[in-house]
Amino acid sequence: MSETFPCDDKEQLVAYLYDEIDGLTRRRIDEHLRVCGACAAEIAGLSGVRRELAEWAPPTVALGFTIVPAAAPGPPAQVVRPARWWQAPVPGWAQAAAAVLVVAAGLSIANLQIRYGADGLVVTTGWMGQGRETGTAPGSSALPASAVSTTPDWQPALAALESSLRREIRDARAVEAAAPEPSRTAELSAARVADLIRQSERRQQQELALRLAQFGRDLEVQRRSDLVRINQGFGQFEGRAGAEIARQRQMLDYIMRVSAQPQPK
Amino acid sequence: MLPHIASTDEELVARTVAGDADSFNQLMHRWERPIYALAYRVIGRDEDARDVCQEAFLRAFRALPGFKGEAKFSSWLYRITLNLCRDWIRRQKRTPVVLAPEGVDIVELASEQGPVESIEDLVARKQLSTTVGEAMQHLPEEQRTAIILKEYHGLTFQEIAELQGCPLSTVKTRLYQGLSVLRRQLDAQGSTGRRTTEKAS
Repeated sequence: MSETFPCDDKEQLVAYLYDEIDGLTRRRIDEHLRVCGACAAEIAGLSGVRRELAEWAPPTVALGFTIVPAAAPGPPAQVVRPARWWQAPVPGWAQAAAAVLVVAAGLSIANLQIRYGADGLVVTTGWMGQGRETGTAPGSSALPASAVSTTPDWQPALAALESSLRREIRDARAVEAAAPEPSRTAELSAARVADLIRQSERRQQQELALRLAQFGRDLEVQRRSDLVRINQGFGQFEGRAGAEIARQRQMLDYIMRVSAQPQPK
Repeated sequence: MLPHIASTDEELVARTVAGDADSFNQLMHRWERPIYALAYRVIGRDEDARDVCQEAFLRAFRALPGFKGEAKFSSWLYRITLNLCRDWIRRQKRTPVVLAPEGVDIVELASEQGPVESIEDLVARKQLSTTVGEAMQHLPEEQRTAIILKEYHGLTFQEIAELQGCPLSTVKTRLYQGLSVLRRQLDAQGSTGRRTTEKAS
């Protein structure tokens, strides 16, 4: 302790440390530090802590907050920060494209085959059934058996099946309209009943096959349009990625340039 | 290219209140780093600091029409942030956890430093940064906040007193006590960083 400054006045010591002190007090403390080793050591120690504190930096993070003002009478304003790419919502077209890709991949792996023939509608998967002949159905003589598969040559066959089915149904309806109402007398034989049931079954099968053919065609149209959209999407993505890379390269060049310059001491 | 004359905080505040949200974006762009740094140093966690920062800006935006400019915009923003930090610390009900030491990014550090510093020194400096951060997290919140506001944000004793709602003398006592505890801890650890700092100076 000296006459000019009491050693236990820590508030003044802190004010001196941060240079937030009037000139007169500063001179008094300077004088005191020349004669008081304890206070001088304390100031030196605290100054050392301050130098070490200067090294404590928060992590370098990307912030970029933006305000999304409320659109009256909508939800209140929000402050948003850039989402990480894996947290960003996937656009609808990408979701649809992904779904189509998954389905297409599944179909190609499974080698799905849809066949309508003597044994009715047959859906098979796998590669075992390839090359098997499709025979003519004995129960439906006018109806050619066809195979509907994912192979490219199914389209003409499908079109042929469709037109054939349409003709069949038209003919069947015409015959039905022309035929007299079956009498409910005792002469109605069991054979006639069986025939009616067979006809009904055949019509149902034809309707089903027709719907299937339309579904296949719709699927093909959808597949083509999705492929086009995927291509467009990839094109946009490549464009954005290219711009981003160029920007980063520019930034890197700048950092290299700056870091290469000797910094003033 | 013409020199860009930046608007003052007060001008941007006035424009925001008049309905120009982009002016508030400029304010956020200007203050997001200091506010994030403040929150990070007070609570010691990156992700939570971002949350606090985001919430602070949102509250500021909503309360801006009531901001009459008695204080500086930055002081007002600091106050909102510190209140949120205090709420966060209360919720944690324990000493904030310091983030695990991060990997030393040599490229990043090299770009900050001149070419004279060796890789060993860079690593030591990074370790020191972690040591100081950990020591800070063990201080009482009031002392830590006072040191942060003084050391990293350059506030005056008076400004800190207003933010902390305490007398000027209390701020000085908090600073003195906090620094003294840090000094003892860092001396006891005899960190590599201290030797590096001394060598560098």
